Amino acid sequence: MATTETQLMLSVGLIEKDVNGDTLWVWCYPSITAELRELLLRKCCLTQDGRDFHTFVFGQFSRTWYYISTVEVQEPTALKKVTHFSICVTAKDFNPEKYAALSRILCRMYIKHGSPVKMMEAYITVLTKGICQNDENGSFLIRDYDVRKAYLAGSVKDVVSQFGMETIILYTALMLKKRIVVHHPRIEALLEFTRVLPALTWHRKDWSILHPYVHLTDSELEDLKKCPGYIAGFVDPEVSNRSDLFDVFVNLPDSEITVSQGAKEAMAMGKLHKEIAHVIVQSAEDAERSDSQVIKDISIKTKEVLTSLFALVEECEDSKITLEVLKQHHFPPATENFLFHLAAAEQLLRI
Amino acid sequence: MEEVDKILIHALRQVGTEVGENIERVGQFTSELIVEAVVRCIRVIDPGPGGVLPTTLPPGMSARFRVGMSLAQACQDIGYKGEIGYQTFLYSNEPEIRSLLMFLVEKLPRESSEASDQPTGKSAVLHRAIATVIKAQLAVSWVPLNCRLPLHGETQSRAASQKFSVHPLSLPYCNEGQKSLKEVKEYKRDILLPATAQSPSQTSMVSSMLEQHMADLSSTQEWDTEWKSQGLLYRLAPQEYRSRKLKRLRNRIKEQLRSVAMQSPESIYSVCRPSSELSDLLRAFRGPAPFDLILTKGTHFTHTQKFTFTEEATAVKSQVHSGRHSEGDTQLHQQEELALLQQQFQQLCSDIDQIAADMRHRSVTSTQVFDELKQRELENAKNQEDMQVKKTTLELLPDADNNLQKLQSQVETGASRVVNLASQWEKHRAPLIEELRRLKQICSSKDLESSTKLSEIKHLHEKICMATEDAKKKEESYKQLVTELESLPRDVSRSAYTQRILEIVGNINKQKEDITKILSDTKELQKEINNLTGKLDRTFAVTDELVFKDAKKDESVRKSYKYLAALQENCNQLIQTIEDTGTILREIRDLEEQVGIS
Repeated sequence: MATTETQLMLSVGLIEKDVNGDTLWVWCYPSITAELRELLLRKCCLTQDGRDFHTFVFGQFSRTWYYISTVEVQEPTALKKVTHFSICVTAKDFNPEKYAALSRILCRMYIKHGSPVKMMEAYITVLTKGICQNDENGSFLIRDYDVRKAYLAGSVKDVVSQFGMETIILYTALMLKKRIVVHHPRIEALLEFTRVLPALTWHRKDWSILHPYVHLTDSELEDLKKCPGYIAGFVDPEVSNRSDLFDVFVNLPDSEITVSQGAKEAMAMGKLHKEIAHVIVQSAEDAERSDSQVIKDISIKTKEVLTSLFALVEECEDSKITLEVLKQHHFPPATENFLFHLAAAEQLLRI
Repeated sequence: MEEVDKILIHALRQVGTEVGENIERVGQFTSELIVEAVVRCIRVIDPGPGGVLPTTLPPGMSARFRVGMSLAQACQDIGYKGEIGYQTFLYSNEPEIRSLLMFLVEKLPRESSEASDQPTGKSAVLHRAIATVIKAQLAVSWVPLNCRLPLHGETQSRAASQKFSVHPLSLPYCNEGQKSLKEVKEYKRDILLPATAQSPSQTSMVSSMLEQHMADLSSTQEWDTEWKSQGLLYRLAPQEYRSRKLKRLRNRIKEQLRSVAMQSPESIYSVCRPSSELSDLLRAFRGPAPFDLILTKGTHFTHTQKFTFTEEATAVKSQVHSGRHSEGDTQLHQQEELALLQQQFQQLCSDIDQIAADMRHRSVTSTQVFDELKQRELENAKNQEDMQVKKTTLELLPDADNNLQKLQSQVETGASRVVNLASQWEKHRAPLIEELRRLKQICSSKDLESSTKLSEIKHLHEKICMATEDAKKKEESYKQLVTELESLPRDVSRSAYTQRILEIVGNINKQKEDITKILSDTKELQKEINNLTGKLDRTFAVTDELVFKDAKKDESVRKSYKYLAALQENCNQLIQTIEDTGTILREIRDLEEQVGIS
């Protein structure tokens, strides 16, 4: 397992901010494309005129996950003329904890030795052996960081406590593979909130729809539009005017969820949704149950719905369902609509 | 004195006082003339109080007294330090009047002579000529068609007035740095008409040229001001600045269009929508409200509602009509028509509904297909990679242990080599980045210098502007003065005046020297007198004491003492008399001067 996992790391890069106020890309191994370099410079908080300092941010671009740790250089140090620096690690998998730990180790090495060579040695040991010496008399083992833990690290209970019954809108949007845009002026809050949303559709375990940190630039939006359904987080408040980008808009600081005009028809909700909403809220409000248990409850309910859908599909020829078959069962219109779109999302619809 | 008087009279004439031709000396001024001159001068110096004062002396004595007092007050307000009162004006004497007039003339503002003249520069002459012609034309009264003379033709016939029609001219500019094609150059050289022949009619040629010139002038001026005020701050070359500005403007336009385009589809049903011009324009592009929008909003029920209402309206109308014609078969005929139309309408409705449902279905299935496609692509890529890895592993599998060891050693050597390369690279990189940072620091420290230089450049630009304006003004005034000079009579030679002025100045200098000499002599004399008086007093005191001491004993000494005292007394009296005489002589001289015996 270690070998396939180490193949997931793509590159490591170093960005420095010096006493002249310039932010420069000073080191990368093996190589990073110019586009990605420009993107990482934008995401790294050092280019944003020293407004906020974010220790750790992560995001996705073009199926590559990037993790950026930023450190302020304190005297005394071997690094002259450097005020701050960021280490960016790109990888194919989603695992913020693992890469946060790794980049922390790399940062400390860099500060201590003042040269990227030592940092690179550590990176290569992790790449080849899956283990690296931590300077706190421990070691960093890749296998300590299981991907399931990353998936479950967020808090579903917080989401439900913030939105209550409206969580069902997010659930429906995720089930139907719609486009969700979340806005919050602080990136940390955005990352924390968005990373837990794919857990509502646990049966898919697909975190590639998550783009937690997007700017309103053409290249990034192009990349975003390639995915049919996504969860995108924006720090820029302008995104609320871009109704071409979302079906559901979540205004996190005001705790408001809006569904755009075009998607209202597909997202119509009925009795089934109310049931599911009840289950979610009840489970989350229960103080005895942990986050993973809540997610399990939600996935159990989802499975019920899916099993009933699959049962319907089994009846049809070549296991593809059509609208007529659905209509024959005389479901209430909202449920019928939902099942129709869900079938499309699960690729069960006959074309 | 004569020259002074002449200058005074000249200045007073310029201010507006009517001094007669025969009057050559200030002494010849009458009270009325004096009052008029003073009041006019005051009016020029200080228009406020000057306006109140009359230029003529009223007949009554008390009124004249009052006028004199106010005039005196006004002169003192302006700053005349000498003694002045109503008597200066009513019972005038020459020296006083002369000094007063000299003071007033000096106070007159310098440019008054220039301001009162009409400017005679060339452009001013042209302006005045145009103004007079237009005034004359406007003064001609309107005459009906039949009575029109050629005089009226220019301004009153309809053919005379032409619209300001502008025809765009194409001028062959050569932009430095921009290579134009050979064909374009040929066209510009051989085929393009001269600018005067490009407009369709003679009348529009003038307006086109004016327009073209104005446009060019204003664009260069705008560019100049923008570049000088803002552009320099960016420290870019002009081309770069222009291209950046273009990009910025384009982005703004894009944003605006996007925001307006977003608004309109969403609010298509709101009645009182604030429609901006931009949204109207976009709607014009999009065409009239598309048919399918009516389908997607609203349900079948509302559609039928709408249509039934219109149907009812037509039904009502048809009923009204039927009341006029014969009842029977027309009503039947109409009912048949109605049924047919309703059937057609139902058919259409169901068709529309079906198509709408179809479209919805298709959109959903297309998203599904798209999704599936993406997934398959990703799976493909992943499988290919996996296959590669498995293939190579398979090849290595027969000799597994050996190969595993070899692989491990290879990986280790590879890793160490990479680390080695990294350290070598670091050796190269570190000094380069140091150099970069050092140079950047130098650069930023030079920033301050360059910004000061920029502000200096800005100042220089402003100074250049001001200097050019000044130069223009000075040239104009020079031209005007030259024409004035030519128009002046040549009989009075300037050199004679200058000679006399220089002579007078020389005389005055000499007199000053004499006066200083006399003053110093006087001071010397006075000092001597003081010395001697002091000596005298001291000597007398000593002698007095000495003699008095002996006077008590000896009779002859007492007599001599008495003689000494008498001598002293008489000499003192003598000195006193001489002094008094001197004082009285001085007083006589003063009084004589006042009275006017020079």
